Amino acid sequence: MSNEQVNITVRNLSVGYKKGKNFVAIKEGINVNAHSGELIALIGSNGIGKSTLLRTLTGFQKALGGEILFNDRKLGNFSIRELARVLSFVSTEAIRVQNLRVWELLAMGRYPYTNIMGTLTDEDNRIIQRAIQQVGLAGYEDRMIDQISDGERQRAMIARTLVQDTPLIILDEPTAFLDIRNKYEIIHLLHDFVKTENKTVLFSTHDLNISTSEVDKIWLMLDDKVVEGAPEDLILAGNFDQMFHSDKVYFNGESGDFMLRKNVIGTYTLIGSEGKIFNWTCRALQRIGLVYAETDPLVVINIPNMEENPVWKVEINSKEKLEIYSLYELTAELYKRLSGL
Amino acid sequence: MQKDRLISRDFLLFGLLGLLAILLFILDIFFGSLLIPFKTILQVLAGIGDVNPEIKSIVLDFRLPKAITAVMAGMALSISGLQMQTIFRNPLAGPFVLGISAGASLGVAILVLGFSSVFTLGLFTISGSWALVIVAWLGSALVLFLILAVSIRIKDILTILILGMLFGSASGALVNILQYFSNESMLKSFVIWTMGSLGSVTKSQLNVLIPSVMIGLVLSFFSVKSLDVMLLGEQYAKSMGLRVRNARFLVFTSTSILAGSITAFCGPIGFIGIAVPHIGRLLFKTARHKILIPSSLLIGSIVMLLSDIVSQMPGYESTLPINSVTALVGIPVIIWIILKNRKFSSV
Repeated sequence: MSNEQVNITVRNLSVGYKKGKNFVAIKEGINVNAHSGELIALIGSNGIGKSTLLRTLTGFQKALGGEILFNDRKLGNFSIRELARVLSFVSTEAIRVQNLRVWELLAMGRYPYTNIMGTLTDEDNRIIQRAIQQVGLAGYEDRMIDQISDGERQRAMIARTLVQDTPLIILDEPTAFLDIRNKYEIIHLLHDFVKTENKTVLFSTHDLNISTSEVDKIWLMLDDKVVEGAPEDLILAGNFDQMFHSDKVYFNGESGDFMLRKNVIGTYTLIGSEGKIFNWTCRALQRIGLVYAETDPLVVINIPNMEENPVWKVEINSKEKLEIYSLYELTAELYKRLSGL
Repeated sequence: MQKDRLISRDFLLFGLLGLLAILLFILDIFFGSLLIPFKTILQVLAGIGDVNPEIKSIVLDFRLPKAITAVMAGMALSISGLQMQTIFRNPLAGPFVLGISAGASLGVAILVLGFSSVFTLGLFTISGSWALVIVAWLGSALVLFLILAVSIRIKDILTILILGMLFGSASGALVNILQYFSNESMLKSFVIWTMGSLGSVTKSQLNVLIPSVMIGLVLSFFSVKSLDVMLLGEQYAKSMGLRVRNARFLVFTSTSILAGSITAFCGPIGFIGIAVPHIGRLLFKTARHKILIPSSLLIGSIVMLLSDIVSQMPGYESTLPINSVTALVGIPVIIWIILKNRKFSSV
């Protein structure tokens, strides 16, 4: 495995597309960096130019201005062959080739290293075998890629980048179309070999919650600029709030995720010890549009203190008293009474 | 683990296909309107024993060239189909449906109907044959590059197929118009060409056909590695270091030469190009061209020899047009591909 490391420097970059004879810039003045051993998420709303930026970084399309440096060498100075040993790429498009085995797909990753007939050496075979182990696809070597699950196919595509043995890996929405377990596992996998192999991995995603808990850095594309930093830096600076100009969605700086704005139907206070039941009761109440208030709450709820057969004792408007046995019943009863008030 | 090496099952399959091809080659020489004893045929082929010179001439001047032509046509059309299917990432691509054969016909029509003076030399001289084959290459290449130009803008594979058919029809229409405006003697030599078949290829034309096909095949061997990565599409191929434009140019040149040469001498032969690569994939269960190219060579030869034997209708005096036989062999395979793909896309 190559121990070469790649740092990316993006200076005053403009990306966009060619329309007829004119160039249309989607995003200008991009200044970001990435260092080896970093897992980086590229985040931004749809249509803001994430894919365009990634395609420009991979050299598939030309930058409209500014420069991209891999270890102080301009991207434009790499030949296609040289670039194939520096960066590998996984696109959003699902590969659906028939009669292609997982092992054969991975073997393609050796393309930049093999002779004209594509003959694999013992070393090549060893590298392929190792990548299969790393992504957890041992035993899948002879499976056809159109007959495995989306998550498994995505692992195979990632394994192919490991086989290509590049210090830099760029992935365009690797977690799109995956279920929640696979989303976590794929990001975790990327995180793993960033650390063990000291690679630089950049991926675009919409899964904010997952990426904020795993990545070292976020490149956040906003309408007017691109900001970078640790996920926590961006949350504290309030950058995520600028992602949408929407009165329906807002960024919750506490939970690190986007939330839907609710119509407030009342206030509540909880009595009881903090814990699992306490937290989930809060979540349930917030879901139907109740907000926490220390003084003069509309609803006072006694949190049950045991997890088995819990009973919520509810007092509404200091008058009506209820005993409730599930959060489903609690939210239904409260919503019925309060939304009509 | 050494997964790159051919597994024993592959070796066995290649061995069986090779034997079958040799057997069918001999059978193809054996079957014909005149019944020649098997032993005599073997004697002629081996060049031993005392054989009636007329029989010898039938075997060596007619049946052997025809069997060789069948092998050439089977190999050339199958490899051009395989290459098109990979480049366009479309299981239904082939020289016939993409209009490449029609482009070759157009090239020949322009030569025969437009420059009759060349053809006072005759179709059957070496220079006439080379002229014929080169215009067929150019015609094929013209259609291929038109399709390529369109495929850069339009990614949808079905649209490209339909456009291929349209280019094919347009070539056909141009050929018709050329026929309408040409004089009788030109028309006569063109009509003779359109009736071309495996059997019409003469020994001297083989001197042109064999090297042409060999050039096309050698070019395709050089594409083994790039064809593999092109399966994943242009972006992936590029990201793995393939110079896509060069690689595509090599493949298109090879395809034009292969499909053009066969069309020039045998006329358009349909469905072999689409069907044979799929039989190869089905038998070897792989997408790697290292295996698909040799398997298409063998299966293409087998299918063409078999089609030729069937078209002889052993036991009858007359023969069937080879194009009808290959259509009947190829179409079920194509229907199977369509059904299989429908199942896949609905999952």
